[in-house]
Amino acid sequence: MSEEILRISDLSARFFTNEGQVNAVSNLDLTVERGEVFGIVGESGSGKSVTALSIMDLIDSPGEITDGRIEYRNADLAEAVADTHPEAVDGEFVDLLSIPEDARKSLRGSSFSMIFQDPMSSFNPSLTVGEQIAEAVEVQRRATANPRSTKARTKSVEYSLSSLVLSTVLPSRRFVTEAGRKRAVELLDMVGIPDPAQRTDEYPHEYSGGMLQRAMIAQALAGEPDVLIADEPTTALDVTIQAQVLDILRDLQEETGMTIVLITHNLGVIARMCDRVGVMYAGEVVERGTLGDIFQRQVHPYTAGLLGSIPDIESVGGRLEPIEGNVPSLLDHEMGDRCYFADRCPKAMEECLDKPPDISAEGSEDHVAKCVLADHPYDPARALPDDHFEELTVGQGTAGEVADDD
Amino acid sequence: MISNRVKSNLRQTFRNSLLPKVGVLLLATIVLMAVFAPVLATHDPTRTGYFHENGGPYPPPGFDYTTTVAQGGEIGEVRITATSEHLLGTNTVGQDVYSRFLYGARVSLLVGLFGVSLALVIGVPFGLVAGYYGGRVDDGLMRLADVMLAFPSLVLALALIGVFGQQPIRIPDPIVMGSEYLDLGIASGMPESIPIPGSVTVVVALVTWVWFARVSRGEALSLRNEEYVKAAKSMGEHNGAILLKHVLPNSVTPIIVLATIQIAVIILIEASLAYLGFSGTTLSWGYEIERGQDVLRTRPWVSMLPGIGIVLSVISVNLLGDWFRDALDPNIEGSERGA
Amino acid sequence: MSMGKFLFRRTLQGVFVIWGVVTALFGMRAVSPGDPATLMLGQGATRNLIERVREEEGLNEPIYVQYFDYVTDLLQGDLGYSWRSEREVEAMVIERIPATIELAVAATVIAILIAIPLGVISATRRDQPADYGATLFSLLGISTPNFWLGLMLVLVLGVWYGIPYPSLGISSDLSVRFGIGFIDLPTGRRGAGFVEGLMAIVRDGSFDELLTWLRHVTLPAITLGTYFTALITRLTRSGMIDEIGKAYVTATEAKGLPGVLIRYKHVLRNTMIPIVTVLGLQMGTLMGGAVITETVFNWPGLGLRLIDALSIRDWPLMQGIILFVALMFVVINIVVDALYTYLDPRVSVE
Repeated sequence: MSEEILRISDLSARFFTNEGQVNAVSNLDLTVERGEVFGIVGESGSGKSVTALSIMDLIDSPGEITDGRIEYRNADLAEAVADTHPEAVDGEFVDLLSIPEDARKSLRGSSFSMIFQDPMSSFNPSLTVGEQIAEAVEVQRRATANPRSTKARTKSVEYSLSSLVLSTVLPSRRFVTEAGRKRAVELLDMVGIPDPAQRTDEYPHEYSGGMLQRAMIAQALAGEPDVLIADEPTTALDVTIQAQVLDILRDLQEETGMTIVLITHNLGVIARMCDRVGVMYAGEVVERGTLGDIFQRQVHPYTAGLLGSIPDIESVGGRLEPIEGNVPSLLDHEMGDRCYFADRCPKAMEECLDKPPDISAEGSEDHVAKCVLADHPYDPARALPDDHFEELTVGQGTAGEVADDD
Repeated sequence: MISNRVKSNLRQTFRNSLLPKVGVLLLATIVLMAVFAPVLATHDPTRTGYFHENGGPYPPPGFDYTTTVAQGGEIGEVRITATSEHLLGTNTVGQDVYSRFLYGARVSLLVGLFGVSLALVIGVPFGLVAGYYGGRVDDGLMRLADVMLAFPSLVLALALIGVFGQQPIRIPDPIVMGSEYLDLGIASGMPESIPIPGSVTVVVALVTWVWFARVSRGEALSLRNEEYVKAAKSMGEHNGAILLKHVLPNSVTPIIVLATIQIAVIILIEASLAYLGFSGTTLSWGYEIERGQDVLRTRPWVSMLPGIGIVLSVISVNLLGDWFRDALDPNIEGSERGA
Repeated sequence: MSMGKFLFRRTLQGVFVIWGVVTALFGMRAVSPGDPATLMLGQGATRNLIERVREEEGLNEPIYVQYFDYVTDLLQGDLGYSWRSEREVEAMVIERIPATIELAVAATVIAILIAIPLGVISATRRDQPADYGATLFSLLGISTPNFWLGLMLVLVLGVWYGIPYPSLGISSDLSVRFGIGFIDLPTGRRGAGFVEGLMAIVRDGSFDELLTWLRHVTLPAITLGTYFTALITRLTRSGMIDEIGKAYVTATEAKGLPGVLIRYKHVLRNTMIPIVTVLGLQMGTLMGGAVITETVFNWPGLGLRLIDALSIRDWPLMQGIILFVALMFVVINIVVDALYTYLDPRVSVE
């Protein structure tokens, strides 16, 4: 088993705002294996969502992917682009950032699809839910129906303006077909929406939040994707509904064998769902490894801090330990070149004023931390004085929100 | 009144985009032109008879034309060329086009300014009271507004002209008066008073006040429930004092945005009324366009120039309005309304 | 609340508004200077004759009786007689309606056909040359008085570039003023309109009349439509920009939906919701613009007749025309409200 499907290396995404350059994601490395649930965890503004949007090629101005490779294993696609873009191909892997935009867009829906945080704002309020799911079905149907693209899709689905105009009078020119609508009802049924035939004709505002999140899962499954990216899929929901939605995701993953990249700030969700985890801080993956590596053998003080700041059910009455200090500034000119967590780190040492590399840590084979503590213990003699970063912490805090609105 | 946040937004929008700068520059030029019209003008704008010796009006440069004249019993063709005496030529009754262009700016801007001020004076108190007290006054205002909206503004203006007539008001020209004490180099014979289309000013105010009433009503309605208004009330402050001290100052921003946009609307209505011959003064760009219409083929400059004046002044005010709206984002109705 | 109930309530409101308009018009006539009988008969009329007319027209009655009579007549569909031509106002209004509607509809069609794609392009290619062009155009469009625009179109296209346009070939200066429009000067009658043009095609397969109409209507319609083109372009652009930033657009992109569908089926649809409302309110401006445009091009519609009536203070005719315009406005806005509930499912007809 253990076959890599997604290989992200050295990925950097920048936002060019009025306040300055925001380094939303910096030199990020990740691998996701086929059929696993990979969790990305971090606070607001840590770059989780930007990472997800980068995979989907959904970063819009003023944001931009400035560097790195996002490699996706798809033998057919690799063969299709091998002649025109040899630099993008590495075995069965294709670097998505080196192929034309159209080819990249063609992967949406069928290779990658995405579930968003807030279902209420992620559906168009003026079209029925069924219509919107049927659109996703049609994208997939039209893509596979095109004989030129049987092997691999390098062109996104097209639909001309004239067809759109004609479709107002000619039902045959409509994008969404009767078959697509039928499939939409099946999908709604699959995610456990009661009475799907009737609910398909209802508008988003007639659904509850939990229902709508299920409908969004149905929409994401319409293209039978290889990788499903779920960006905070339960954050906007009631606690009781959260568990239901997670169960549905887990069940569907087991049924279809698809890969899920689950983005959340909730370690409880990670523990419940994931096989492997990446912890993000200030646009970097500061520690990654298996669930056990992160929860039992964590090295990075930030990971430890995160674990400490969630209420532990078993130690009722135990004190919540928030991580002290401010959310880091992601403004390029305020970031400097050091361990970005050093100013909040209880174990910051003089070494931390240099940028730490990825260091293998004890545990599983791919347990890696961006922390000097991975290969030598904390030495109180080399600790930084408490006030070392004082002048730097002034005026920080909001810039990260620009880049990552989760 | 205007908070620091508003001011810094205004500054930032101004710095970051080109259009507000163009607008301010353009408007400043037009205002200066209007104020110092008597200084800049070369001729009395109302004096007629500046014709070429062969009878036709002078053309501006580039518009030379040939006309047929009878000379001593012979019929011949004469070429009439531009003269430096009349920079932009003369019109069909032989008035200096350039001087009239300057004075036309005065009428447009004054009607815009006075009209909007009058509309503010009527509309804002009415709207604030209606929104603050609610009840019958409010219902009455909203119904009245519905009725007024059913009239196209130009049509209502025309009907009101039928009521008010076309009375111009002559006010003494402060610049010409001031030249007694200060030598501004004013050419002799400049009119000592300027005609303002008085009834037109009243009419445009009556047409536009309802927008101010609606916007201030909306503001008062939402401010009524603000904590500080409730607090003032609970401390026994008079309603009148609350309206003046709390409600009015906090409604100022959207009202300013609306006022700016309505100035553009009013300039267009005034020009339209003057074009249709209902303004009561001939010193108006709209009237001048109408005058040139009959000779559009042979003397096109008579209509062209005043039109450019209208377009530039309306653009400058609209740019100002866009700037305010972008910076302040009041999201008010009626701000996308023209003549 | 059902659609029927909603329409009933809106109609009731509309009736109230029309009553207000009627009252306002009556009030304006009552306070306007000049004695109606003198206006009717002209300056040379004898005192006796004037007195007799005053008596006949009920002008000596108290004002509230006059008002009551006026409203009663209106309710019976009697708009009165023109003071000057002594024809029935009703007939004088009705015969001019088609020309104005043709002009207004042609202008609206031009505006929508140009403005919506322009606004979409402008919003989707922000800060690119196409956007700057559209922004400049819409700024000019909302700032140019349409009478001047009409004259400049005639001047540039007809006179300078010699593009054949009805009657512009005549060398007399007067042709500009009196030849552009639609009135056959010798008979004073109007040429064939849109409906007649269509009927000619059905009757004898001739497109001539429709083409003649089209040639006549193009310039006035562009003149009247430019402001609306500019306005809708602005509204579409800013609406699209707001809408594109919303989360559902990203979600729709993530589905892999073709761009055309994202832009037009999703984003534009939601942008249209506020635009439709503004357009309903702007119908008044369209009618105001029609008054001017008809005057420039001598287009024999209601606007031209209104100006004629106003210049001789023919109040019954003015009242009739304005009443009709207000009625149109009210009806159109009821339709717009109904359309609104169709466009935005979140708004129920409450």
